[in-house]
Amino acid sequence: MTLQRSEVSGVTIKGMVETSFVDWDGNIVATLFLPGCNFRCGFCFNAKLVLEHDTLDDVPISYVHSYLRSNSDFLDGVCITGGEPTLHSLEELCSLVKSTGLKVKLDTNGSSPRVLEELIDSRLVDFVAMDVKAPLREREYSKAAGVPVDLKAISESIELIAGEVEHEFRTTVVRGVHDRQSIREIAGTLERAGARRYVLQKFIPELAMSEELRRVKSMSDAEMDELVEVAAGYLPAKWRGR
Amino acid sequence: MKGEDSTDIALFVKVSAGNVVRWDRRRIAESLMREAGVGAEQAEQIAGRVESIIRESGIEFITGPLIREIVNAELIKLRLEEERKRYTRLGMPVYDVEQLITKQNKENANVPHGPEATNLSLAESIKKQYALLRVFSPEVALAHERGDIHLHDLGFIDRPYCSGNSIEYVKKFGLSLPNALSISKPARHAEVLVLHLIKFSAALQGVFAGAIGWDAVNLFMAPYLTGRSEREIEQVAQMLVFEFAQQAVARGGQSIFSDLNLYWEVPKHFADVEAIGPEGRYTGNTYEDYLEEAQRFARALIRVYMQGDGMGRPFFFPKPQLHITERLFSTEGYREFLYEIARLSSEKGNSYYVFDRGETAKISECCRLAFKLDENDLQDAKTPWKMRYSAMQNVTINLPRIAYEANGSDERLLELLSERMRLAAEAHVAKRRFIVKLLNLGKNGPLGLLCMDKDGEPYYRLHRATFLMGMLGLNELVQYHLGEEMHESSYALRFGLKVIAHMSRECERLGEDYGMRFVLEQTPAESTAYRMAKLDLEHYREHATQVVKGSIERGEVYYTNSTYLNVSAPISPIERVKKEGMFHPMIHAGSLTHIWLGEAKPEPEAIAKFVVRTFRHTTNDQIAFSPEFSSCLDCGRVDRGLW
Repeated sequence: MTLQRSEVSGVTIKGMVETSFVDWDGNIVATLFLPGCNFRCGFCFNAKLVLEHDTLDDVPISYVHSYLRSNSDFLDGVCITGGEPTLHSLEELCSLVKSTGLKVKLDTNGSSPRVLEELIDSRLVDFVAMDVKAPLREREYSKAAGVPVDLKAISESIELIAGEVEHEFRTTVVRGVHDRQSIREIAGTLERAGARRYVLQKFIPELAMSEELRRVKSMSDAEMDELVEVAAGYLPAKWRGR
Repeated sequence: MKGEDSTDIALFVKVSAGNVVRWDRRRIAESLMREAGVGAEQAEQIAGRVESIIRESGIEFITGPLIREIVNAELIKLRLEEERKRYTRLGMPVYDVEQLITKQNKENANVPHGPEATNLSLAESIKKQYALLRVFSPEVALAHERGDIHLHDLGFIDRPYCSGNSIEYVKKFGLSLPNALSISKPARHAEVLVLHLIKFSAALQGVFAGAIGWDAVNLFMAPYLTGRSEREIEQVAQMLVFEFAQQAVARGGQSIFSDLNLYWEVPKHFADVEAIGPEGRYTGNTYEDYLEEAQRFARALIRVYMQGDGMGRPFFFPKPQLHITERLFSTEGYREFLYEIARLSSEKGNSYYVFDRGETAKISECCRLAFKLDENDLQDAKTPWKMRYSAMQNVTINLPRIAYEANGSDERLLELLSERMRLAAEAHVAKRRFIVKLLNLGKNGPLGLLCMDKDGEPYYRLHRATFLMGMLGLNELVQYHLGEEMHESSYALRFGLKVIAHMSRECERLGEDYGMRFVLEQTPAESTAYRMAKLDLEHYREHATQVVKGSIERGEVYYTNSTYLNVSAPISPIERVKKEGMFHPMIHAGSLTHIWLGEAKPEPEAIAKFVVRTFRHTTNDQIAFSPEFSSCLDCGRVDRGLW
């Protein structure tokens, strides 16, 4: 019997959904929320985790460990999300999850290809979901992300993920920010990188970080269907959201 | 002829028979002797006093009910309490009747508002009063009125509670109901069989208070579906679901609380049974041979449920309940079928998953009620039309109140629990006595349908009847007694288990004492949860305010249902299904855990995995997934989430 861990270095956990059916398609997972992000996407629905994470209580690692161990008969894996998890040192956390026999899914904005590379090489992650915020053009991407973005890093991450690990790329579709053309461009980029799965996510206005975007109407099901059709011309695509 | 002293009263009486007659004092005396068993002399005296009161009032017209009220007042003065009870009139105040006719009944979501529904409510109200006055002992009636226990469906006192039925009966004997103006021979075609089934269900709804369950529907329909195209099979499935769902338009205005039990595999107990087909004849095959048709029909049913009604809304009845036995996992195509039904859970939330582990087999009758079939029942499986089961009544124990009264003492708590269960058993004895009296009136009696004996025994198999002991608010009992809710510590959870183990043992002990079959059931009654919480806030205010859930200020209070963990506590679905499942092996009449999906629409694989893991790794009896829907009352549009 392994001892229960009471801490792992490099990480604090600010939130946990013990059972999630929707954070890793087709799997039952526990989802861990890590604080902080280097992007400021207006459509982000976890603003508190990005901007006010100091006000949130830590979830004790001992609790996480004990929960994962006693429920590994039900869980397929753990989804590590944020914020932006790759701002943290994730090795120990991923190893801890792996020690319970569970798989690891990592959500990322792709801004830290080196971190991703190490995690993928050391087989500490089994699945990576990367957000592609906009077509890969300096102005557009930085506008969507709310900060200047190093597009080289984004491209590297796309190449790396598409080539090395099970994955999905995803775009949260916001009226006024994305249209058929932008989806076409992103899908094209992904296809060229060898990506095998693209998911369009419906934007949830009421949770948006940006006040302005809270007034924007989310896409209808029919509009989402249309955009998926565009994306599906390049690679397998679907949409999710309510 | 008029009584001597009455000649000078120019008074007219509106009598209940719908006539206006001249005042006659002797009528009072006669009715007191006939109805209340009052002696002749005393009856005369009472009648005399009543006449004086009326004469003094100077009234010119009086109604029968008013005279009766005056007589009752006299009976009270004479301390003739028993006589008053027999003589009293049952009914409702004018105000209440007006409210009932004009306002929606909020207590039962399954009853639409309309003249038929109010007829039902008015009748229920009178039967309920009758039940408390005449069927149950004063002690039991008082315990119900005080809220120590809850006697369910008192307005349906003259019917058993719920029933599990077999399509084989309808296939073999056709639609041949007592007192029917026309009789149908056994069906030749699947479509006709469906119609027979629906009509039979409607007839059963008239003699049962609650759920009408049908076992292994897809399997028993299968011999009628050989050689039919996919489209035709789907048409039959559509007829079955829509016809059941729309019965609420019939008299009485209430949906048939119906369940369709489905299997992907041929369950072991039916595999070698000779199949009955068109015209009620044996087909020469066993049910094992109809696996393919049974599966095609099951899939067609799921497709119909997926499409929903004409507006795409989910069907609330009939409920599809998928039984999972060990055989499922060795039956080809099970994974795909599980995904299909899991998709239904995710999209519409209809499907219930019933786990028949090991050698157990079950019949489900309503959302929470599933009977485990014992050795005798499995013998019945060889002649499946005999598989007719019923729970005659459900009595729920108010558990939090026991904790208030026990004042922290474990011993007293269990003692009080035993006392309340004995009272519940007394209530069951009384109900059985009453139903037996009605059944003894035979085919021309009110329960004639249950007396028809096409297979050598009455449709209602009294010797197989069970009597349900429900429980409410275990969580609040534990919370008050220990200061912690069941999800807050393993000690609290263990204490909860100990209480239910005690109830389970008491069921057995009482069963031996009374020669009846008492089983625990998770009470499926939101209105009881409200009623008992409200009564406790009135009678045990200091205690109850510490544990009731909801909002005391708004008067929206409740106790947690049965053995559930606090519904609003942050307990993950995995832990809920495991912890709640620990109670289920002791609750033989079925139990259920709801998994809340909220707005999320998971991929079916995740749901299917959860179902299989619940079967494999827990003792949970039954689960269902609940998505959130909002339905626009004006346009009928349905959206995901709560709006």
